[in-house]
Amino acid sequence: MHITRKEYLLEQKEKGRRLMGVFPALYPREILWALDIVPAEIWDPPLEIRQAGAHLQPYICSVVRLGLELILQGKCDFLDGFLFPHTCDSIQNLASVIYDFIGARKPCYFFYHPKIPHGHTARDYYLKNLKALAAELKRQFGPLKMDSLREKVDMGRRISELLGELYDLRAARRLDASNEAFYRTIRKGEYLFPDDYIAELEGFLTQTRSEESRNGATIILSGILPNPPQILTLLDDLDVQVGHDDLLNGSRRLLISNEKPGDPFEYMAECYFHMPPCPTRGSSISDRMRHLLSLINATGAKGVIFNVVKFCEPEWFDVPNLQEELKKRGVPSLVLDTELNQGLSGQMKTRLEAFIEIVRVHRESITTKH
Amino acid sequence: MTYFAGIDVGSLSTEAVIIDEDATMLGYSIQETGADPVRAATEALREALSLVGVSREQLHHVVATGYGRINIPFADRKITEISCHAMGAHHLFPDTGTVIDIGGQDSKVIRINAEGRVLDFTMNDKCAAGTGRFLEVMAGTFGVPVQELGELSLKAQKEIPISSVCTVFAESEVISLIAQNRPREQIIRGLHRAVVSRVWGMAQSVGIEGAVTMSGGVAKNRGIVALFEENLGHSIHIHSEPQIIGALGAALLARGEIHQK
Amino acid sequence: MKDLGAPLLFRIMEKRKKKRLREPNPFMGPPLKCAGRLRQIMTRHYYLSRFAKGARPVAWVTSGAPVEILRVFGFYTIYPENHGALCGAQKMGPELCAEAEKKGYHSDLCSYARIDLGHAFSGKTPAGRLPRPDLLFASNNICQTVLYWYKQLSHQWDIPLITFDTPYNFQEIRSGDIHFMVRQFEEMVPELEKISGRKYSHKRFQKIIRIAAETSRTWGQVLAAMKHRPAPMTIFDAFVHLAPVVSLRGLPVALEYYRVLLNELNERIEEGIGAVREEKKRLMWDNIAVWFKLRDWSHLFAERGVNFVAATYTNAWAETIHHLTEESPFESMAKAYSLIILNNNLSHRLKLMEKMIRDYQVDGLVILSLRSCKPYSVGQYDLKRLLMERLGIKSLIIESDMTDFRTYSEEQARTRIEAFLEGLGV
Repeated sequence: MHITRKEYLLEQKEKGRRLMGVFPALYPREILWALDIVPAEIWDPPLEIRQAGAHLQPYICSVVRLGLELILQGKCDFLDGFLFPHTCDSIQNLASVIYDFIGARKPCYFFYHPKIPHGHTARDYYLKNLKALAAELKRQFGPLKMDSLREKVDMGRRISELLGELYDLRAARRLDASNEAFYRTIRKGEYLFPDDYIAELEGFLTQTRSEESRNGATIILSGILPNPPQILTLLDDLDVQVGHDDLLNGSRRLLISNEKPGDPFEYMAECYFHMPPCPTRGSSISDRMRHLLSLINATGAKGVIFNVVKFCEPEWFDVPNLQEELKKRGVPSLVLDTELNQGLSGQMKTRLEAFIEIVRVHRESITTKH
Repeated sequence: MTYFAGIDVGSLSTEAVIIDEDATMLGYSIQETGADPVRAATEALREALSLVGVSREQLHHVVATGYGRINIPFADRKITEISCHAMGAHHLFPDTGTVIDIGGQDSKVIRINAEGRVLDFTMNDKCAAGTGRFLEVMAGTFGVPVQELGELSLKAQKEIPISSVCTVFAESEVISLIAQNRPREQIIRGLHRAVVSRVWGMAQSVGIEGAVTMSGGVAKNRGIVALFEENLGHSIHIHSEPQIIGALGAALLARGEIHQK
Repeated sequence: MKDLGAPLLFRIMEKRKKKRLREPNPFMGPPLKCAGRLRQIMTRHYYLSRFAKGARPVAWVTSGAPVEILRVFGFYTIYPENHGALCGAQKMGPELCAEAEKKGYHSDLCSYARIDLGHAFSGKTPAGRLPRPDLLFASNNICQTVLYWYKQLSHQWDIPLITFDTPYNFQEIRSGDIHFMVRQFEEMVPELEKISGRKYSHKRFQKIIRIAAETSRTWGQVLAAMKHRPAPMTIFDAFVHLAPVVSLRGLPVALEYYRVLLNELNERIEEGIGAVREEKKRLMWDNIAVWFKLRDWSHLFAERGVNFVAATYTNAWAETIHHLTEESPFESMAKAYSLIILNNNLSHRLKLMEKMIRDYQVDGLVILSLRSCKPYSVGQYDLKRLLMERLGIKSLIIESDMTDFRTYSEEQARTRIEAFLEGLGV
């Protein structure tokens, strides 16, 4: 598929589908699909901030600033509504700024997900919220047929399987794809309707599945999203593969559940509570650490890169503890403080390259010991 | 006899160092980088070669480091200045466990092992506080040459604390102190303290172990060195030309590559 | 060393008192007589906290959390945010923040959190010593930040963390949301019984709820006294006198204190005593106080005959908590705590500010834009614009932190404040 995101979305609109601008990060996409709504996720639009500065202070993260900029520049005019999941304080208030003050002149929806630990109370509430959102959307975009929802839940499941297979192959070093190509493909899920995304992933799997095991150093990439993309290309140039990720728009949203889908709402709730740990869902530090270690073990990665969006509180709070625990286990880690679409400064390139030099030395010393 | 060269292309200055196969430093050259890093690198290498009387053809391997390293066409390999400073400092002072490098635009703290390899490192963020640039701006505010700042700070018996971390804010703080007729030396000492505290804070995240070697142009500032030594409680290794440590490390790594093969 | 205990606080405040006696500010009215009593109450609270450990269960609590439920089990409560403000006022913000930064916490993070973590790592505090908690109790009705922050403490010390999760009021709080919060309370009870070793008593709970609601109501009356011209106190006083309703709410001492304070204010109104001798203009404050500038700024404004008579911040403890009822304690707590200003949409905040500007006859608005506090700060630019459009009210935005003055520029702030005052014609 060689058309741009915008062209694709306009084509979908032609077909009679509705388009929903969705802010990060966790939301029940199956409900939207079942209503024939295409979610167009807004993470890192390639824009220069010109107007958002009149509404948001300079210390608000670039995910939030760029998202607002996209609306202010009129680039969302063809969308039919907005959905704001309750991800963090900044997105929470952004939702209100847009709905109450700027006036998007479009329906706005808010999706709260519980922050308390997994238990009956959290689960019942989440289930209730799924149904409340479905009812609200139905009023504007209905009808919502249960058959259609079941079908979309199955498609969501198929997507998770395909993504899981891609991640597993990569972890086993049997995926012949650059980091750049991997995330370019994965991230198409941010706007493709499920049937198109499934086709895209299947195609990519066929192309890149490799019988030969790949050599070279492997690292884990943690953070919100793989931006600036120059991180990926620099790693490609250095012949380093991202063995697995702990990215909010990557593997942290992988829906993995062993249960067979029965009631679609129950199934969606089940998936939410089985997602890998994430600070935006209130996960504890030990859960996050356990998860990171499992990724390191699964891939044989020799280092972790925390690529943190500047001013992102949920991420920044956990970094010191995670780094310290990794250090105790002899795993080197690097923290990058980045802003979206700002590329890598010479200084940051130096840091990244120097880190890879350490990882390599570390790897050599381990191999020679064996 | 075979020779090796290291070139460190920094934001302000470019250094070239020539060593022989026994790792003895034969000579070096320092040039201003200016607007054309490639020319500066070429010139630095040419001058260093002519100083030691070695021809370009006798050079076996050239390693480039520093911000401008990517664009140097005649380099056989590019290595970050983190690894180069580590190797250079280790070579000059083998007991080095920690390297503090304060350059024009950035500062770093590097922990190294007994072979001169990097164990861990940290660098300043985008902000200029804790770099040579900060001192340069402040020297401008006082209208004194930046080379004299260190001596002036040592003259002060007391110091006036500067609370702002941001260069712009600190500058306005200094201007209002000057307006209040506060002693110049004491303000300058406060500014030196601000730089040292900033870098010291960074150093805590990687930890300071073993002997400390300082590299980079700011290592020539005796006021800064004195405050670091005060924090540490012991003295710091300073080479007579602390700027060339990166280029020296690059040359040593060039030699190391050949020797491994 | 025996005296190191009596918190430094006492001595510092004594010193201040002397200073004030020596040089009374000619532009300000007589200081509040109650101030001494407040100092005693708060100092006693911090002082006693050192003996609480072992004798009573200790909880660290966020400023917006429904502390009433902890009181049933006799928890001794410490408010890290209140402690952060204290450190800020003592100008210790940068020092404690730096302790957290040494451990890798980014300087962009909330400075209350950095101060608290810095204290946890180094033990430094101007309050003598804080007892280590048996329980951490956080509610995200003021921000999500407290969840990230308390989780660090919980991990560091291996101490249980109870979160009270309050869905954000985007358009309306639904019955499902209330039910969710009530269920959380019900689940907390056995956990709190276990941690405290005390049984739940509904009767005791009802009494606490009654006192808390009454305290919040009385605090509201204290603030409302500033509607009077000239206002008998300033918001800079209120920032300090806020401490009991935040951290001693539900205890009789806080209620008694506000009754005394209210009496004094009423007396001042009768006698025509204003906090500022010649009150020419009245201002409203938006956001947390700048703790390290409290004294300087109260003088700066008083010299121009300008008084701050209202603040969205001090109002937060008077806005919803008085709705607590002993008939349905859980449900009324769920409503009161999820509808506080920072968990409520910006349309509500705009209306509230409009009402306050009218009720308090406010001439201008000072907005503190705070990197540390996203929920308070995101939306301020639009609030400023809309209040100008609707009410023609002039406003000033100041960039600062509430405690970490390393990111504060005195010159910039002063120039802005003076230009703003010139614009108001004073």
